[in-house]
Amino acid sequence: MSTVTRNALVSTETTLREYVSTGVMALGAVLFLASWAVLFQWVGESTPVLGVAVFTLFGVLLLAMAVGIAGVGVAARLGRVSASPSASAGLVVGVLFGGIGFVTGGLVASQTLGMGAVGWLAVALAVGVAVAALAVVPREDVGSTFPPALFLAFVGALLVTGTLGLGWSWSPDGVSATFVGSVMVPVLTVAGSLVGSWSAAKARAGFGTQGREGGAFYLIRLSVFGMLGVLALLVGFIVKNGLETALTRAQFGLGGHVGLPGSILGVTLPNWSVPFVDVQVPFVTNVSQSLFVEVPGLAPAILGTLWLVVGAMLFAIPLGLAAAIFLAEYTESRLFRQLVEIATNGLWSTPSIVFGLFGLAFLVPRFGGGKSLLSGQLVLGFMLLPLVVITSYESIKAVPDEYRDASAALGVTQWQTIKSAVLPAAMPGVITGVILGVGRIAGETAPLLLVYGGPPFSSQNPSVLSSFQFTSAPPFVSNTALMDAGSALPYQLYTSITSGRLPGQGAPFSVQEFGWGTALVLLVVVLGLYAFGIAGRIYFRRKLYNE
Amino acid sequence: MASRIAERFEHYRSRNEDAALVLLAVTALSLVAAFVLFYQQSRWTVVPVASFLLLTVVGWVRYQATIARGLTFVMTVATVAVLGLIVAFLVVRAWPAFDQMGLEALYRTEEPLWKPAKTTPWSLAPMIVGTMVTTAIATAVAAPVGIAGALYISEIASDTTREVVKPGIELMAGIPSITYGFIGFVIVNRFFYEEFQTSTIGNYFTVGAMIGIMALPTIVSVAEDALSTVPEAMKSGALAVGTTNWQTMKSVTLPSAFSGVSAAVLLGVGRAMGETMAATVMIPHTKGFADPVYDVFGGVGETLTTVIAFEGGNATGRHIEGLFAAGVVLFLMVLVLSVTAQVIQARMRSKYGGDR
Repeated sequence: MSTVTRNALVSTETTLREYVSTGVMALGAVLFLASWAVLFQWVGESTPVLGVAVFTLFGVLLLAMAVGIAGVGVAARLGRVSASPSASAGLVVGVLFGGIGFVTGGLVASQTLGMGAVGWLAVALAVGVAVAALAVVPREDVGSTFPPALFLAFVGALLVTGTLGLGWSWSPDGVSATFVGSVMVPVLTVAGSLVGSWSAAKARAGFGTQGREGGAFYLIRLSVFGMLGVLALLVGFIVKNGLETALTRAQFGLGGHVGLPGSILGVTLPNWSVPFVDVQVPFVTNVSQSLFVEVPGLAPAILGTLWLVVGAMLFAIPLGLAAAIFLAEYTESRLFRQLVEIATNGLWSTPSIVFGLFGLAFLVPRFGGGKSLLSGQLVLGFMLLPLVVITSYESIKAVPDEYRDASAALGVTQWQTIKSAVLPAAMPGVITGVILGVGRIAGETAPLLLVYGGPPFSSQNPSVLSSFQFTSAPPFVSNTALMDAGSALPYQLYTSITSGRLPGQGAPFSVQEFGWGTALVLLVVVLGLYAFGIAGRIYFRRKLYNE
Repeated sequence: MASRIAERFEHYRSRNEDAALVLLAVTALSLVAAFVLFYQQSRWTVVPVASFLLLTVVGWVRYQATIARGLTFVMTVATVAVLGLIVAFLVVRAWPAFDQMGLEALYRTEEPLWKPAKTTPWSLAPMIVGTMVTTAIATAVAAPVGIAGALYISEIASDTTREVVKPGIELMAGIPSITYGFIGFVIVNRFFYEEFQTSTIGNYFTVGAMIGIMALPTIVSVAEDALSTVPEAMKSGALAVGTTNWQTMKSVTLPSAFSGVSAAVLLGVGRAMGETMAATVMIPHTKGFADPVYDVFGGVGETLTTVIAFEGGNATGRHIEGLFAAGVVLFLMVLVLSVTAQVIQARMRSKYGGDR
């Protein structure tokens, strides 16, 4: 954020204080990751590590962190290590640690010692005030190291002595859950490692204003790391669990034919022969349920999603793009523009299930009273509409006025300017916006439950193109495929949760494995669209600013 | 007013050929006719639709400029009309339900609570409480972490890390909600059932935590927008008097962007409130009130969105009208949040002179 390089006014060599606090932070990181590993049961709770039970080891490491932090604090207070602490750690720190002290004291008094309401309140208040005073009254180097060290030492001692261990459990009144040791130990260790590392991060930067920055940045970085960690876990779980299902009896080789659904887009295909390539992924190309299908597949769902998306785009893109052009180029009325902006933002924030209800009330009775592909397409189109309007409007607005002026100076009309100068310049932005929007609606499930979702496991692919029929009586044109309920990838994932088992006999995987495979395919489709859109945006932005 | 409109029309007419205007009028009229016939469930809807398409093509060939301008206007009106249609249809279908129960449907706590029937009273209160409980948990998860993430992206990260973190968080927004739900159902719910010995598979706590994670990307990206509206000059001014980056953020950037950041949280809360699929597959679908109200691990669990998604597929009569009433309540709650957030954002933008 600052473009000024900071010159270190103090000596640049690493000091003892920095060595110790870096060590404590490293310990904290190890404990943090190890606790999550235990929570996810990647590491067994009773597995001995280095000859000690995991939880005892956690306790020892927490105690070590406590000693390290307290040591740095004492050394800084006595002037043995260089630091620039403030007069006090501040009220916020005091209140936070007072709160931790209050809760800890209260829980110990009421649950372990069995005191009454008055007793535990008094103990909790006493402990809380004492800890808060310890944080606020002394100089910052003591105030921001001793309370965390106390907390770590308390938790560490509980773990080392085995007071809080595998056999421990606690079911508080009024909450219908039991907190057992195998969960609470890692949770407390995570909390301890956070508190300890925060304190060490402060100490590492030498307390004072720099120290506060160090502590705060540590917590912020950790939040971001946590977010990316959640993302990685989600994707990792799906890939790990879904890959095997998705590749059931898949073949990749040379020579032979490419396995494709018998009819794609309604056109019946011959058994395709592509020389030198043999790719068969039955999970992707088979129907979900049939007497002749050994591996239930996702073809109806994939084609259903494809048709839904195509229909939604056909509906929403002309409408949304036209509205964006009118707003950005034609209208001069501020009021009108604001009205439309409020409406599009309102549409954007409307919950998806409300769109489903709307489709149920408005579209379903008008398309023969049953769930149908056409209603699904239109409802998803309604959801795509605000995204198209907003992104198109933004990218048309972003076209520099020089383009318009230069074109107008040539003496052409406004429409020709829009058509030949503005729209081509805005098109990359519009396309990326549409791709991101499509990625969003392709994974949408809630409205489909109400207007489109058919049998849980579909036995036929929707063949829209070949189902058009023309009649002499109104409505002159009909299409049974558009009027049928069916399946889509997210809907298929939903049914694999709600159905107890796969239909038919002898599928090579369970319904849950089928779900994991569906989740993987859905993720590939949606994230593929997103990656495409985001990459396009980065590419076009670079191009715009480098020119 | 009327004379101004007439004047503008004259002005508009003077710049366009009369034939083009007539053609445009007929095109627009056929679109209106198509809508009216569609609304009437007529079999003849296809005729005005075909005439609209045909006239558009003819007009495009002969009077492109006039037709383009006219059609973009018609499409803009249609976009606004969609929101109007949604509101109208929700309210009309929910009306009999509200007519039966009045506002008591929102706060009635005595049995019977569900499901709506013409002869017995019913109530949306358990679902409203459920929505509030899950939303509160989600906000507690998402708001601090989301604001921290926004601070990181806009103030701390180097250009390289930003190029990694920002798309990563957008990918998080891109993962379909049913996928979060599937993982929540298969892994999180089972974990809580086995390890915490909860009475049911699924409870408010797991649902709230999951939709909190799902609301994160919204908060991060909107709050980051708000933080980057704070003029660079204000930050540089603070740094110039010798503050650290953190002091600048804490005392200058965050307070200046406070309204924008709170708008981000409001939008995130709106997302969490409207989140449907993850909650639907994770929640136990039992209606009632947790006792005591903070027992988020208890056996009851139903929110406004989940009840619609779970029962809407095959409900009829008063039952479906009750679900429409739930939809109206949900729509209003989310709309209030989003409009408030928009007003706050608009005020902040005008305060710092819009370079965005």
